[in-house]
Amino acid sequence: MKPADAATLPAPGKTPTRRFDPRDLLASAGWMKWAAPIATPFVIWLLLPVFAIDQQAVITRATPFILTALAVALPARAGLINVGGEGQLLIGAAAAGAFAKFAGDGIPLIAMVPLMMLAGAIGGLLWSGIAATLKNAFAVNETISTLLLNYVATLFLGYLIHGALKDKESFGFAIGEQIPESARLPQFGETTVHFGILIAIAVTAGVWLLIERSRWGFKAQVVGGNPEAARRGGIPVGKTVMVALLLGGGIAGLAGAIELCGIETRLQTGMATGFGYIGFLCSWMVAHRAAWIPAGATLLAAISVYGDNLQIDLGLPASTVYILMAAIVLVVLAYRGSSTGKAISR
Amino acid sequence: MIVDVITGAVRYGACVVFAAEGETVSERSGVVNLGTEGSMLTGALAAFAVTVWTGSPVIGALAGLLGGALPALLHAFLVIDRNADQLATGLSVTFLGLGVTSALGTGFVDEKISGFDPIAIPLLSEIPFFGDVLFNYDILTYVALLLGPALWWFMKKTRWGLILRATGESGDVVYAYGHSPRKVRYMAVTAGGALAGLGGAQLVLASTLNWVENITVGRGFVAVALVIFASWLPIRAALGALLFGAAVSLQLQLQARGVNVSAFLLGMTPYVLTLVVLAIASRGQAQRMPAGLKAVFAPGGT
Repeated sequence: MKPADAATLPAPGKTPTRRFDPRDLLASAGWMKWAAPIATPFVIWLLLPVFAIDQQAVITRATPFILTALAVALPARAGLINVGGEGQLLIGAAAAGAFAKFAGDGIPLIAMVPLMMLAGAIGGLLWSGIAATLKNAFAVNETISTLLLNYVATLFLGYLIHGALKDKESFGFAIGEQIPESARLPQFGETTVHFGILIAIAVTAGVWLLIERSRWGFKAQVVGGNPEAARRGGIPVGKTVMVALLLGGGIAGLAGAIELCGIETRLQTGMATGFGYIGFLCSWMVAHRAAWIPAGATLLAAISVYGDNLQIDLGLPASTVYILMAAIVLVVLAYRGSSTGKAISR
Repeated sequence: MIVDVITGAVRYGACVVFAAEGETVSERSGVVNLGTEGSMLTGALAAFAVTVWTGSPVIGALAGLLGGALPALLHAFLVIDRNADQLATGLSVTFLGLGVTSALGTGFVDEKISGFDPIAIPLLSEIPFFGDVLFNYDILTYVALLLGPALWWFMKKTRWGLILRATGESGDVVYAYGHSPRKVRYMAVTAGGALAGLGGAQLVLASTLNWVENITVGRGFVAVALVIFASWLPIRAALGALLFGAAVSLQLQLQARGVNVSAFLLGMTPYVLTLVVLAIASRGQAQRMPAGLKAVFAPGGT
């Protein structure tokens, strides 16, 4: 053996060591791989009273976060960065509100809530369709287009609330019309928790199945991993990318409809501010793994509700919670490194 | 009206010029910095706060430079030394900046400052039309107007500019040539953030003269979009920023003149315009992109 090589080889009798990775602990016990993502949100939730955080509020807050995080995670697995959850959510809420106002009469009671949800999902889907079209037809990077469309969506919601969707009985106030009683999401017993969490969990399971267990999910992962290999392998890259972004937008739009039917009951400016961005942080925190998103969303919802308390007690603005959330995500990003970022050394 | 729109384009576009030129420097070294929005925010608050305390907008502008450089330094560390995803890190840095400036800025919401006054250049500002359009701005806006050509000269004509561009194309070549691409990238990203911070400073010291939470409303992201539109060329980036400023200016003029179109729809025009120019210019940009950025923008295969 040449001496030059000897320096790079480990000393005899020593196994090469690698850096400690907490995920090794999970990998060593097979069942924990399944149990951990399901148990973690419950553990966080049970610990909430220790920090004097309202448990019910955390569930209702985690609901939109789960969905907006899935709206980031699903396209991310196909190699897309969807930062448009914020706008897609608002447009979804506006679509549901418009449905209640213009088509809500005469719909059977049982169908009202599902149709509201559908309207929201379609609204979000169409909105993300703008970014998807810009990407496929004009090669516009989706990160930038979805970001800019958020500002457009906020203004567009303002336009609708001041115009077509304005409550005629509100006089000077620009505010949406109260949605009918039949369109409200029912609540669990005497609590303030609405059924949206069930929808969010069902969608989580659906996205997990789609990504991890379906043929389309496999194709999407290939596209995300190496588009050139996917193209040569006969996978329609453009179509896969388009579908992933549209589905993401649809999920975020659903979150908007849930917020409207479960919390807000009428469209207003400033509703759900930051929910899309928090979903983005949540998805990156858990590396876009759908199974872990409820855990991440519960943690961020706890921080968000705690932030509401701070806002009331200390007069700090709601955006203050971004400091803690962004810091967590930055630590995760720093620890994990990346597959898409170019390796820069020296 | 035309004079108002053009002067408005320069006044509202100047902060985007700074941010876009900063992003150009950063991306030419091979690092995309979506934290530009965050740098603008921290720069704006630093500039505003220091101006409130000292009463001097010049010291405020310097603080803006520093305030913008700090988030960029964090971004540089994460993507260069920790190899974190550039787009996600940049956005997280922006949220960090948004959170920090929202929390620290509450005390400044009601403060008033006297920022930079316009300096009419003698004689030249007397020329009809051109005098108003070119020679009657505050000092930071003059700097912004000269920044594009200056950066072009730096990148095209100086040795350091060549090293910067080479780093964005191939770090290995720069390394073989005897320079550290890591150091070049650190300097480029930090300088880019400082310029974005100066843009934020221009916004509060020469344009709004007050502080509100999230005062930049996406101008940093617009700057990133404009850099792609401009094919990573500094003068074109400045022109793009002025075009954005023109859209802002035009919609404000129309609102002031009581045009019967919703203020919300008018407010969308700058963002929609940015998307439109991006759509027109994006195809084929892959060839003009610094090679080092391909790994960041490539996913999806376009």
